Amino acid sequence: MARDKIYLEEIFPSPFMQLWQVFRKTPVAMLGGSCFVFLIVLAIFGPILAPYSPIEGQLDMLLLPPAWNNDGNVSYLLGTDELGRDMLSRLMYGTSLTFGLSFIVVIISLIIGVVIGSLSALTTGLKSSFLNHFLDVVLSIPSLLLAIIIVAILGPGIANTVWAVVLVLIPQFIHITRYAVKEESRKDYVLASKLDGASPFRILYYSIFPNITDRIMGQATLAQSAAILDIATLGFLGLGAQIPLPEWGATLANGLDLFYIAPWTVYLPGLAILFAVVATNLVGEGIRHALKVRKDR
Amino acid sequence: MLVFTLRRLSLFIFTMLLLTLVSFSVNFLFPGDSIINLTGAINATPNQLIGLNEAYQTNRNIFWQYIAYLGHIINGEFGLSMASQSDIATEVVKMLPATIELSLVALLIAMLIGIPLGFIAAIKHGKFTDSLILSVSMFGYSIPVFWLGLLAILTFSINLGWFPSAGQISLLFEIKLVTGIQFIDILLSDSPYKWQAFSDATAHIILPACVIALAPATIFIRLARTSMIEVLGTSYIRAASAKGLSFRQIIFRHAIRNALIQIIRHVGLQFANLVTIAMVTEVIFSWPGIGRWLIESIYQRDYTAIESGLLVLSCFIFIVHILTDFIYAALNPLARGNKYGA
Repeated sequence: MARDKIYLEEIFPSPFMQLWQVFRKTPVAMLGGSCFVFLIVLAIFGPILAPYSPIEGQLDMLLLPPAWNNDGNVSYLLGTDELGRDMLSRLMYGTSLTFGLSFIVVIISLIIGVVIGSLSALTTGLKSSFLNHFLDVVLSIPSLLLAIIIVAILGPGIANTVWAVVLVLIPQFIHITRYAVKEESRKDYVLASKLDGASPFRILYYSIFPNITDRIMGQATLAQSAAILDIATLGFLGLGAQIPLPEWGATLANGLDLFYIAPWTVYLPGLAILFAVVATNLVGEGIRHALKVRKDR
Repeated sequence: MLVFTLRRLSLFIFTMLLLTLVSFSVNFLFPGDSIINLTGAINATPNQLIGLNEAYQTNRNIFWQYIAYLGHIINGEFGLSMASQSDIATEVVKMLPATIELSLVALLIAMLIGIPLGFIAAIKHGKFTDSLILSVSMFGYSIPVFWLGLLAILTFSINLGWFPSAGQISLLFEIKLVTGIQFIDILLSDSPYKWQAFSDATAHIILPACVIALAPATIFIRLARTSMIEVLGTSYIRAASAKGLSFRQIIFRHAIRNALIQIIRHVGLQFANLVTIAMVTEVIFSWPGIGRWLIESIYQRDYTAIESGLLVLSCFIFIVHILTDFIYAALNPLARGNKYGA
């Protein structure tokens, strides 16, 4: 029998690679993942690809239905709104506002949350107990309500919405990091490197972090779907993105008055939000599924 | 149970202090004079302002100011609304019951639909029914609630004409405000059209309540499914089936009760979520509740109303949270904290 490998080399993929290997074999998760990547690409290049300006309207093309309708015009694929603005361009620009901003928001709050969470996992005693109580209180307030509170203090606007959602998401990341770090530090491999004389930060960086990235990623997808919905809801309520901005929630609110004449101005942004949230949730489900498979193995 | 009660009470007091501290400090973050933000007295004469400053002890340090503020809050003095100059406490008393009514009905619908579906999914674990219920539930919590509300109005109010699209009750009915909760008020009133009013109020509440209930229902499906799968894997269920009980008996007598306990624990957290969804839905369905009032005060920059409304709403959410904790502890001895021999 031919032996391809003379030396039996054992490969231990990192936890992240293990996650990817399971993730790759789940078709639904891959579908969600590719939709997610598509949205990211659209968020970056949308403003270049969009055929028309999202703000300037064509006054002779008011309230054009989508192209598949009998009265539609194929150069305005998804129709126009009451000011003659192309819906497709508005939605494409909106991707970078709603989806792109929510992605950035999640990254910022992830970094801040993970830093605070891992530092707090190293502390014990009164400080830690106070933090625990405080987190319990903050986490029992729903994210949207907290975002509305913060926007009420800061005043309406897209920049304030972003800060509000960042602040709202941080406690969730602190909580999950703290919990995961505490759980990992009880394990033997951490004890081994502790006995080797590694400093707490070294243990944190080289031993614990690689093993909790997948859990933090799972939380990040949850946070992202919450962030998309929060930004869109605040936009819809008129507390987030202001009038000319093509944010999905704001676009939907804009179409509200003409809902019965031009339903597509309400259907399409809603579908866009639904698509983005479903894609994010599918990725999240895939990650959680992969985590479970790895745990069972 | 006593230790548990004391611990919960301390958490409750801690949280209430934190919430009042937040709403107190918010006054300094809002633009304008903090005493006017606090009381809403925008048209006060200089003499009245002196009186207010004295009442809120603004000349002393921040700690005494906070104590004075606490005293006013405990006496139920929330100040005047900056926009309408009406007393906020009476406004809140009028608005809050409508929100409580709507969210309780929604919670009931969410539980009645979500929990049985979750149980079915758990019993058929790993089969087609399970994955169908799971994927439907994922769509359920991905739908933006304002969009769902609009679609519901378009389909059921405009195209089909089954339900009214806005408000709490038709203006034709004159119901005296007693408790604020519409259904109880209708039953208490001596109007000859009591039952017409009752059915009208029911028709008004169905659509918003169902819209609110969808997202929490999908979460209840997941909770019920996980806890049922867990219960079905325990040894007492195996013992029951070894005893020769039929599948139906095992599910109805043993599994459901134990699975329900785990779900009740999460009701408090879900209720908070539900109230937020209710705030948005109230705007869409013009429901005269505290959520719509709060969002309108944000538009109007009515700082006094924002601050008091937030305080009342978060207190309400937290009280429900504590209450469900108590119910859970009363039902489940394991949760009371004193595990002997553990």
